[in-house]
Amino acid sequence: MDSLNMLMEGFSSALTPMNLLWVLVGCLLGTAVGVLPGLGSSMAVALLLPITFALDPTAAFIMFAGVYFGGMFGDSTMAILMNTPGQASAIASTFEGHKMAKDGRAPQALATAAIGAFIGGMVASVLVVFLAPALADFSANFGPAEFFALALFAFVATSSVVSDSAVKGLAALVIGLGIATVGIDPFSGAERFSFGAPEMFDGISLITVTVAILALGEVFHIASRIRRDRTDQRIRSAGRPFLSRAEIKEAAPAWARGTAIGLPFGVIPAGGSEIPTFISYDVERRIDRRRRNPKFGKGAIRGLAAPEAAGNATTGTAMGALLALGLPVSATAAIMLAAFQQYGLQPGPLLFDRSPDLVWALLASFFIAMVVLLIINLPFAGLWSKLLLIPAPYLYAGITVFCGLGVYATSGAVFDLLMLLGLGMVGFLMRRHGMPLAPLMIGVVLGPLAETSMRDALLSSNGDYSVFFDGPIPLVLYALLFIVLAFTVRSKVVNRTRQDV
Amino acid sequence: MSTPVPSSPDMAEQHPGEKAGLPDGQPPAGTSWWSGRSGLLLSLVMVAFSTYLLIGILTMEVGEDTDFPGPKFFPGILMVAGYVLAALLALHYVRSPEHPTETSAQRYRTFTDWSAVLWAAGGFLLFALTLEKLGWIIAAALLFWCVARGFGSRRPLFDVSFALLFSSAIYLAFAIGLGLNLPSGILGGGF
Repeated sequence: MDSLNMLMEGFSSALTPMNLLWVLVGCLLGTAVGVLPGLGSSMAVALLLPITFALDPTAAFIMFAGVYFGGMFGDSTMAILMNTPGQASAIASTFEGHKMAKDGRAPQALATAAIGAFIGGMVASVLVVFLAPALADFSANFGPAEFFALALFAFVATSSVVSDSAVKGLAALVIGLGIATVGIDPFSGAERFSFGAPEMFDGISLITVTVAILALGEVFHIASRIRRDRTDQRIRSAGRPFLSRAEIKEAAPAWARGTAIGLPFGVIPAGGSEIPTFISYDVERRIDRRRRNPKFGKGAIRGLAAPEAAGNATTGTAMGALLALGLPVSATAAIMLAAFQQYGLQPGPLLFDRSPDLVWALLASFFIAMVVLLIINLPFAGLWSKLLLIPAPYLYAGITVFCGLGVYATSGAVFDLLMLLGLGMVGFLMRRHGMPLAPLMIGVVLGPLAETSMRDALLSSNGDYSVFFDGPIPLVLYALLFIVLAFTVRSKVVNRTRQDV
Repeated sequence: MSTPVPSSPDMAEQHPGEKAGLPDGQPPAGTSWWSGRSGLLLSLVMVAFSTYLLIGILTMEVGEDTDFPGPKFFPGILMVAGYVLAALLALHYVRSPEHPTETSAQRYRTFTDWSAVLWAAGGFLLFALTLEKLGWIIAAALLFWCVARGFGSRRPLFDVSFALLFSSAIYLAFAIGLGLNLPSGILGGGF
């Protein structure tokens, strides 16, 4: 019951007119960026990160919540209408969703997606409200060895599970961890990798890395192909965005199954909602094959409902893991963690004790964001697609200017702009050659935690490495990591053999 | 506790041609050895980064009384892992080049449209170098114009006015409205 009381207090602080306005602004901006082709929620959060520092922490995080979920809603809207998913998590929605749209059932597809995302997100948020405090209590006894195991888990799982090549994932991770070591070493005060440049004593700013890798690199990547790729046909969306009773009955079990599949993945640092969306799509397809008249391939409503619910369920519980453990499972969550750190807040066990008002207001704003998003997405999905009328040159020129604005506004130094450009080129190369970006982001954000806990553990044990296997929690984490890796290898082998058929 | 490298080589082999299951494994006829191997650039980036770490570790000044593990310990692991991964990446691209699927009707020499990328990146460089002298309005308009051109806009004169309008609007909203510190530059005297 304690959680409920705290949540009610959270609602009362989140429901002030100003904070409601930030939720609304966040949802609108998130949806707008998500709708634009090729841009996903991580881009939205990256671009807005510098600008939100003009706000107080509570308002900023409430807005972030809106942007994060809004980006996912907008993303699936475009995945359905134009077959252009902005993030990997929307790919599974394109298969059946885009077919529904081509069939002239675009409004129904959008409604299915919006309701699915709503259900998944809501269930996840409820779960987070009740479980996150317990999780935070549990992790309060974590020592250096436990935190190191947790960070290692996140590193290996993201870099090997998400990418189709483990080498590329690990390479991205090493760059991220390396970037995080630049600056003055907190233990010894030694100057690391700054080569006397005072601009680098504090390390490379997370904002610079985030904007460079997720926003500027994307702009370069799109520039590299935009004059050559053919344009997709557009699909008109008109008509009633409401589902008939039969359609709801058809989609309901898929929504439920998708949510159930998505929930646990938020806590597993396996790169966010990409994997659960594909798993739930696959589950629905298998179930569909056993039915009398299979609908998959012809625009099956279930093939869209399940991944949408799964994706948002994962996003929801991922926020719980972020708050309670300080563990980001996706690039977007990593940026949120960076934002917390910029405000001097460290997500994790102590956050619930130290700033309960912020945590509960943020949790309450998840619910508000879900409702707001359902309202602005269900009836107005057609309007959102009007954003596509902005000519691409002006759209991306504007985004580039915003990248420069954000970084210059927070650092006030030309040095950071040059760093932004350099890292942006690295981000472009990574995209061009299929190197995943999430491991780099997670490496940059969790790198300091991994290094400090590793050195803390070794210092206290006088250099004895067995300290990392001391105690049940690290051992359980390593065992889990092993299972995740075994599953990854297995599913990769299975996929490979299936493709040959 | 080993670094997570050992699990990787066997996975790298599963990669070629896996992307979206498209038949993109075949090289277009009459291309050089380098075709499909531009991914070696990634390897180069890794080598450069590891070397940066190596030089940093070698030149780092650490106090005498620092206990193990000192400030060089963690970066040292990363450096070694970086070199190993660079070698594995190089091996991967040498053994199995990745040919992206060309979706446009025409065939180009490079998959990447470098002129577009250079317009965007060059515009950004110009922006970074001139921002504090020319001021936000002019530098940002320049950036906007260059990127728009790189993305294929073919109305340079209209773009100039639109870019100036855009950068001025941002200046009004963020520098005057929200109080962000944007340089006014050569236009600054009047305001």
